Amino acid sequence: MHNDRHGQSRSRLQDYEPIVGKSCIQQLRMLAEALSGKVIQIINSTFIGGGVAEILEHMVPLFNQLGVDARWDIIKGSNEFFEVTKKFHNALHGKQDTISSADFDLYLEVTRENLEEMRFFADIFFIHDPQPAALIAKKREIGKKWVWRCHIDVSNPDEQVWGFLRQFIVQYDAAIFSAPNFAQSLPIRQFMVTPSIDPLSDKNKDIDRNLIESVLTKYGLTSDKPMVVQISRFDRLKDPLGVIEAFEMVRKSIDCQLVLAGGTATDDPESEAVLDEVRKRAEGNPDIHVLLVPPESDLEINALQRAATVVVQKSLKEGFGLTISEALWKGKPVVASAVGGIPLQIRNKLTGLLCYTVEGAAYAIRQLLTNPEYAAWLGRNGREHVRQNFLITSQLRNYLLVFLALDRSEDVIYL
Amino acid sequence: MLDWLKQNWLLIVVPLLVFFATYIVGLWARRTAFRAFERWVEKSNWEGYRLIIEATRTPFLHWFLILGTFIAIHVSALQSAQKALADKVLASLFIISVTWVCITLSDRLLRLYIDRVPRLHPSQALIVNATRITLAVLGVLILLDTWGAPTTPIVVLLAVAILVAALSFRDTLMNFISGLQLAQSEQIKVGDYIKLETGESGHVVDINWKSTHIRSLDGNLIIVPNSRLLQSSVTNYGRPLKKASRPFRFYTRLHLKELTGLKASSLAELATMITQVPESVIYYHTHNFLEEHHFLTPEPANDFALWVSDELGCEVLGEKLASIDTFDFPTISALRTRIASMINEHLSQYPDGQKARPGREFHFVKSLSFVLPTPYIAHDLREFVEILKQVSLESLFYHMFESRLRLKRGVNDFSIWIEECLGDKDLADRLANLDPYNYTLDNLRSTIVQLIEKRIK
Repeated sequence: MHNDRHGQSRSRLQDYEPIVGKSCIQQLRMLAEALSGKVIQIINSTFIGGGVAEILEHMVPLFNQLGVDARWDIIKGSNEFFEVTKKFHNALHGKQDTISSADFDLYLEVTRENLEEMRFFADIFFIHDPQPAALIAKKREIGKKWVWRCHIDVSNPDEQVWGFLRQFIVQYDAAIFSAPNFAQSLPIRQFMVTPSIDPLSDKNKDIDRNLIESVLTKYGLTSDKPMVVQISRFDRLKDPLGVIEAFEMVRKSIDCQLVLAGGTATDDPESEAVLDEVRKRAEGNPDIHVLLVPPESDLEINALQRAATVVVQKSLKEGFGLTISEALWKGKPVVASAVGGIPLQIRNKLTGLLCYTVEGAAYAIRQLLTNPEYAAWLGRNGREHVRQNFLITSQLRNYLLVFLALDRSEDVIYL
Repeated sequence: MLDWLKQNWLLIVVPLLVFFATYIVGLWARRTAFRAFERWVEKSNWEGYRLIIEATRTPFLHWFLILGTFIAIHVSALQSAQKALADKVLASLFIISVTWVCITLSDRLLRLYIDRVPRLHPSQALIVNATRITLAVLGVLILLDTWGAPTTPIVVLLAVAILVAALSFRDTLMNFISGLQLAQSEQIKVGDYIKLETGESGHVVDINWKSTHIRSLDGNLIIVPNSRLLQSSVTNYGRPLKKASRPFRFYTRLHLKELTGLKASSLAELATMITQVPESVIYYHTHNFLEEHHFLTPEPANDFALWVSDELGCEVLGEKLASIDTFDFPTISALRTRIASMINEHLSQYPDGQKARPGREFHFVKSLSFVLPTPYIAHDLREFVEILKQVSLESLFYHMFESRLRLKRGVNDFSIWIEECLGDKDLADRLANLDPYNYTLDNLRSTIVQLIEKRIK
């Protein structure tokens, strides 16, 4: 292991072997070999914060260890640009927002600046999310293969924003979505690749009980009471107020505590306002703990998830919801809304419990708090489900398969 | 002089008589002892006894000559100082003879064992010479001690040198000795298929003076120090079984989900699209649950059944669709027809079905398969079953599910190979009749392994 740019220990490919098995690593090596000689340029909007940067941070070194020449770049943009792209993000999720022509102009202007400043050197360009999507303009000049990776649920987008972005998306060779119901009808090939978690990252690796206790002490929490935990950015789409409401229903009959913990991302200017609202709503209730956790506190997040009795993710909209896989990997019973990519991770009553309403969430939490054996069974199933489908090695494999599929049209491909 | 002889003739004759008498006793003793020894050797299997007889037969007589001389001198009228000198000379001759016998014997015994380990041949001269030198040095030391020379410093020096050498080459020495033991016991031979307690297994391709080389089933060479091999628990399956006319190469298969952009929000739309989508889509939706949740439950439902029940609330139709046994269908086309006709039958009775909620439509997904060769190749059933225990579940899935239905081979790959290349129709049929959809993938693997192991027991 050695350290990445944040001082986190970086895992080697062979470190995953005890978790996923020797054959899985062998397969990755074979796929990488089939891709030898190709250069992959990965482009997104930030190195820090949010699920995309988090997974790329771990994935790019693994690509390199496999012998795949993958390099990671980000586009540059002002705060105003990221406010516009945040509006795009919300609009693609279906949220109404005022987006002016000046906003579109700013987006195009920043794209033009990046097109001029950035070096484009790859055989395959792997572009993540809407922020850098318009870089596809370069394709006319240099050709090569271009893949757009969409981490957002664009099934019910704001038509104005989708229409604007669509003109760029259709120029790509392929698009990747996290779930079938996230996709739009497009005239290009579309693949499904679920995001993943890194089981060896600080956020997911096994940690000592003493560390968990010290984190609980730091935040004034006690392990004497059952703990209901939601870990996510302070974002309206994560419905933190709905979680408080559900908790209050549960709290009437069961002595427990709620922890709402999350951070902010550099491309999310709304977070502060949401955090204030949540704090106001929680005021006066000593069993509700609202914790603002900076992005570097992965070990603390890990500790909070491991300390949880039940993990909740009551999102109103969700890209994929990596926090679900994080909790399942720790063997925790999870209650989550049946939105976005969550049903892919939770098969209702087999690997967790799905809910649709505040009342449904409260009912499911009560069920799990009062039936610990059932909760443990769900947790075990959930962990295995994540091992099979949602670890970083699975995602790595799927990306390699997409790159290999770009030049082939048959349904059964012999490598 | 003559007078002296007349007076003292007894002083000469008695020692001579004693000398000849001892020699005759020696001749008789050698004949008797060696005959008895030879009779005993005939009953024993150890070839070393013969070497001992050959090496000691002549020196045995020399030792009696020395003994006769010794007694003759002591019964003679020689002075004490002359007798003491003669004792030392005789002792020296005896030590030289015994040392010579030991060197000859060790040479022959070493060659006997080294000949059984071909890879020791290059080191034969080295080993033999080292032994010769050691024994000669020991003989010289004893000789020096006999003549009263100070040997303690030399012994200490030699002991230290030997200790240092033994410590430095401890592992080599251990491996060498273990190699000899392995060769003598003949428990493991080149060509045997063995399995170590660490789980590594393969065919023994070489045993040399340091290590044993094992070729694993994925082609890797495992080098095990002889001492470790001797200390660990090893299962030896012996020589390979009947060789297949063509080896079985294990493949694995990875799949990628390609979105078609097609979706259905009602039963009618579902039925229509099922008849139109590519076979890869039907294959995906009848095998997806199995692939993603294979560890949870056997008898996985197909995606159509799950959606019809969970989203449209048509539990009766859902149950019927779930009851379709994919194993009954030789082709995807036949499977597709059955699913579509079942939905259409339902629609003819209940034309006004429910519609899915927005966002909960049925999305048609296509399965792209990437088939890759693994390094595993089986030449017989033993190798086959050992590989089967090691390959990924994707590989098992490919050979048991994908090849049968998607690649239109009608039967799983294992059955085809066992029948065509090993001629074991009975075992092939047993595997062919195994409905893989009734098992979790882990259980399916165990079941096949049990069937084959029972056959090769």
